Amino acid sequence: MTITAQALVSIIVIAVVFNVSLGAVAYCILLERKICAWVQDRIGPNRVGPMGLFQPLADGLKLFLKEDYNPGHVDKWLFLLAPCFVIVPALVGWAIVPWGGVWDFQGFIFWEWIPFIGGTEVVAGPVNVSAVSVSIGLVYVLAVGGVGVYGVTLGGWASNNKYSFLGGVRATAQMLSYEIPIGVILLVILLMAGTLRPDVIVQHQVETMWNIVAHPLAAVIYFTAILAEANRAPFDLAEAEQELIGGFHTEYASMKWALFFFAEYSHMITASAIFAVIFLGGWHVFPFVPQAEVSGLFGVLLKFAILAGKVALLIVFMMVVRWTLPRFRYDQLMNLAWKILIPISGLLLVGTTLMTWKGLDQWWWMLALNIAIFIAVWGIQPFVPKGDPTNRKLPLEGSRFSPAE
Amino acid sequence: MHVPPLFTPLPLAIDPVAFNYWPIVLLLTIAVGFAVLVMIGTHILGPQRTGPEKETTYESGVNPVDTARKRFNVRYYLLAMTFLVFDVEIIFLYPWATTFRQIDADSQLATMFVCRILFFLLTSVIAYAYAWRKGVFRFD
Repeated sequence: MTITAQALVSIIVIAVVFNVSLGAVAYCILLERKICAWVQDRIGPNRVGPMGLFQPLADGLKLFLKEDYNPGHVDKWLFLLAPCFVIVPALVGWAIVPWGGVWDFQGFIFWEWIPFIGGTEVVAGPVNVSAVSVSIGLVYVLAVGGVGVYGVTLGGWASNNKYSFLGGVRATAQMLSYEIPIGVILLVILLMAGTLRPDVIVQHQVETMWNIVAHPLAAVIYFTAILAEANRAPFDLAEAEQELIGGFHTEYASMKWALFFFAEYSHMITASAIFAVIFLGGWHVFPFVPQAEVSGLFGVLLKFAILAGKVALLIVFMMVVRWTLPRFRYDQLMNLAWKILIPISGLLLVGTTLMTWKGLDQWWWMLALNIAIFIAVWGIQPFVPKGDPTNRKLPLEGSRFSPAE
Repeated sequence: MHVPPLFTPLPLAIDPVAFNYWPIVLLLTIAVGFAVLVMIGTHILGPQRTGPEKETTYESGVNPVDTARKRFNVRYYLLAMTFLVFDVEIIFLYPWATTFRQIDADSQLATMFVCRILFFLLTSVIAYAYAWRKGVFRFD
């Protein structure tokens, strides 16, 4: 029996990254609480284990032992389906991330004494160190992001609770709106690299320049959009606790609630990994320095470590953003998506198309395009019709601040 | 001679490379299994107690008023329709963008490609301006 090297590597990557990401999610929650504490000048969790390091285990145990309660008024099957629909896209989204680049795999034969697979020959050949090596690449990211909306909608509707319903509807509208800038920015990246394969996109950046230098505006738009897609602050309107208690997961308890929570952090890891791949040059360490190619297993591990380091930095950045910026108002959120991000990303797409057609696809031309669009938008902004002021005060009888005329 | 098997899954019949997608199926199975196991686990481990107060809808401690299955604002529907239009248009652009770099930039075909795509984007811009003018993006 023979199997291809790609099959073996796929299985290993799935087994390793799935478990690593589950552990990372648990510790992201601890990190989030620690960063929150540091931002607010507190100590944070420090009771369970040294420096609170066993806190995730304690939390997990507690959540498993909580009562798994399905209230009587909910639509039971949809209520149970919603957490699955949220967690599954979050856990499969990283399938196309090229963790270790291309590995020139040496073939070998499994020892005879191993049960079931003994004597199987693994054919030598170049493999992509990612869970799946297919040509659709970034389209998969879009597809999985689209599926993520269903869980939130279902959870909000099935709970049969007004808070949940409002939270679900808000979250749906928000996630749909921010999917369009993501799609357009991925198109811009696709035009730069000419392919959807993430490993080729990274290679293109290694050979020319990181996309964040060539397209800083696109990177900012994409980062904003992934924050909104993951329902992270400052875009966590769906669970604005002052208005909606818990939003779409108000009626959920125990691990069913924890699956929603898990999905948010899992989504952050996936989104950061994809951001690092398409903008931060994947496994490339410094943007202006050429990098020696390290071959073999050591090279793969090194690339994985560099990419993981970038992902960790991005996650910390997301957390600091969460504890620094106040939450947007809902109309501000929608204005940002539809009246700012979508037109700018459209301009970027048209500009990149025309410049690629004219052969000006070097990174400095693209940087000039980004700066030009930024200045143009800044210049046009005062002349865009504003409409009525949105922050109206209600006139009140006998009020000093907004008196009824 | 290559004889096609009697039953070929539809994706395989369309494209033999579709077999490369099997790790996604494996990953999906693991993820679904994880979700189901966690939900069964917490159902077994946790206590089970119920009561009339606990069965009611949570409304900040007040007795629930009316049902949650009500009409909601139509602007969410308008927004969803607008999203659908733009998202489908973006998906149309992906095959074009993939092949665009492979065409000789000086050829007439490249010019035609660019002009057609600009016309296509122009139609979207008209739709976008119409939606803006109609107040689809107003959420205040």
